[in-house]
Amino acid sequence: MSASLPARIVLGALAVASLVVLFGPLAVVWFFSFFRQRRGVVQWESFGLDSYARLLKNDSILTALGNTVVVGACAVFFALALGTLFALYFHNRGHGRQAQQFMIFLPFLLPPIITGLSLLIFFRELGLDRSLITVTVGHTLFVLALAYRIILTQLQSLSRSLVEASYDLGANRLQTLWYVLLPNLRTALLTAAVLAFALSFDETLISLFLVGRESTLPVRLWGMMRVGFSPEINALVTLIVVFSAALFLAVARLVRPTGEDLTRP
Amino acid sequence: MRRGAWVALNLGLPAALILAPFAAFLVHSFWRMDGFHVVRALSLHNYRRFVSEDIFLPLFLKTCELALEVTAIAVLIGYPIAVFLATLRGRAKYAMVLLFVVPLLMSYIIKIYALRSILGNNGFLNRLLVATGVLERPTGFFAYNFTAVLITLTILLLPLMILPIFVSLERIPRSLLEASADLGAHPAYTFWHVILPLSLPGVVVGASFTFILAIGDFITPTMVGGMTGFTYGAAVFSQFGTAFDWPFGAMLSVVLLVVVVAAMFLAAWLGRPRGATA
Repeated sequence: MSASLPARIVLGALAVASLVVLFGPLAVVWFFSFFRQRRGVVQWESFGLDSYARLLKNDSILTALGNTVVVGACAVFFALALGTLFALYFHNRGHGRQAQQFMIFLPFLLPPIITGLSLLIFFRELGLDRSLITVTVGHTLFVLALAYRIILTQLQSLSRSLVEASYDLGANRLQTLWYVLLPNLRTALLTAAVLAFALSFDETLISLFLVGRESTLPVRLWGMMRVGFSPEINALVTLIVVFSAALFLAVARLVRPTGEDLTRP
Repeated sequence: MRRGAWVALNLGLPAALILAPFAAFLVHSFWRMDGFHVVRALSLHNYRRFVSEDIFLPLFLKTCELALEVTAIAVLIGYPIAVFLATLRGRAKYAMVLLFVVPLLMSYIIKIYALRSILGNNGFLNRLLVATGVLERPTGFFAYNFTAVLITLTILLLPLMILPIFVSLERIPRSLLEASADLGAHPAYTFWHVILPLSLPGVVVGASFTFILAIGDFITPTMVGGMTGFTYGAAVFSQFGTAFDWPFGAMLSVVLLVVVVAAMFLAAWLGRPRGATA
């Protein structure tokens, strides 16, 4: 697409203004990870890595962070396994695949509040207590749609002759899956894993319904809202954003289509 | 594996993990609380309460309006930005698109918290307006009210509006734009008759994301809403917390579900493929 110069200047100004607003919160957090404030006044002489040092000593936050990583890793594992299973079923034209797809997309399409309370009610009817396990189930179902969609898209782009060749050469279903399909789905699996982990890491609305005594980081932060945040939260958030942005950039670079020239006008 | 077992696994797992909780939620909305006990008998008790008490229906309508306003503002700001991204080239385009993705990576709670500290009575925005002489003294207009919820939700959801529109703009074949120009169309005419209709599916996807997430959110209103910014989502959540009436909370969510499903059908209808394909 192209546009005239004055139009581009107006549009560009709007985009820059939006970026300022979108990154405003980030800037505030980043700024206060180095400075302290007292009664809303910045203490300029307090500059330092103090809040980063205190973060390393805050056990309750580090525990919540650890829980979040474990829940995220488990949710990613289950979502990839189920996503691959369901994508293969759909691709091989299994019975009722449209109904299956509808069910998979449901928790992703509905407002998280409905997914959260449905699972809460369901677990109580089953007599299961809330814990990190119930949170993991919630996260798995939430990110499943994403993993499934990404895996299915790549599966459909693979040539059918790959699988046929594998069968012709005498491989059974499992061998074909392991030696032919999974290696060819590597990019999709990696992309899905990173995106699913990012979603799980920040998931708050479903988690608030499903946490028991041990909480994940967003839930912990929610609990701290009323008393206000300690400075080490700013340090933690700064580190998380830097880490996730780096991870995201790495993946974006990896999955960038090399054949298609992005520099083309 | 036998064929039957394979089918059972593939349909049974989603049914047990997704459909069953969903069914439990629907059934729960027909149960009711008696003191601290759930009465497991079907009745329309909660539905009658919803219609007869004049708290929840007005709150629901107010929240629908809020979600529509957030969506409308996000389209009006997001569409031009998506157009701008689509006009960029090469590395600049790639970098700018990434810049609009990064805010999505930042913790939801923290973003709201930071926005609250910017919009608050003592916040950055008020100080800026006072310092530049726009206001004489700080205003309470931006925080702990309905406007604050509107502003915060719009900022939080804007990237989700921009990205689908950008993708649909990128999918428009260049040949169509060239053909339009070759046939003597003014760029404004091309935009209005070629680009805009072909990018509508992206607008519809972005709008439904924004609407669905805005209408069901309970964190933003709780954190920046104050007294006037209480929304339907927050009312639902309180039934599972302080109010402790799960069946009524489930019933309130059924109403939410109906609106969301209606919105999805509308979106599917608006985004349907039309006319000759490119």
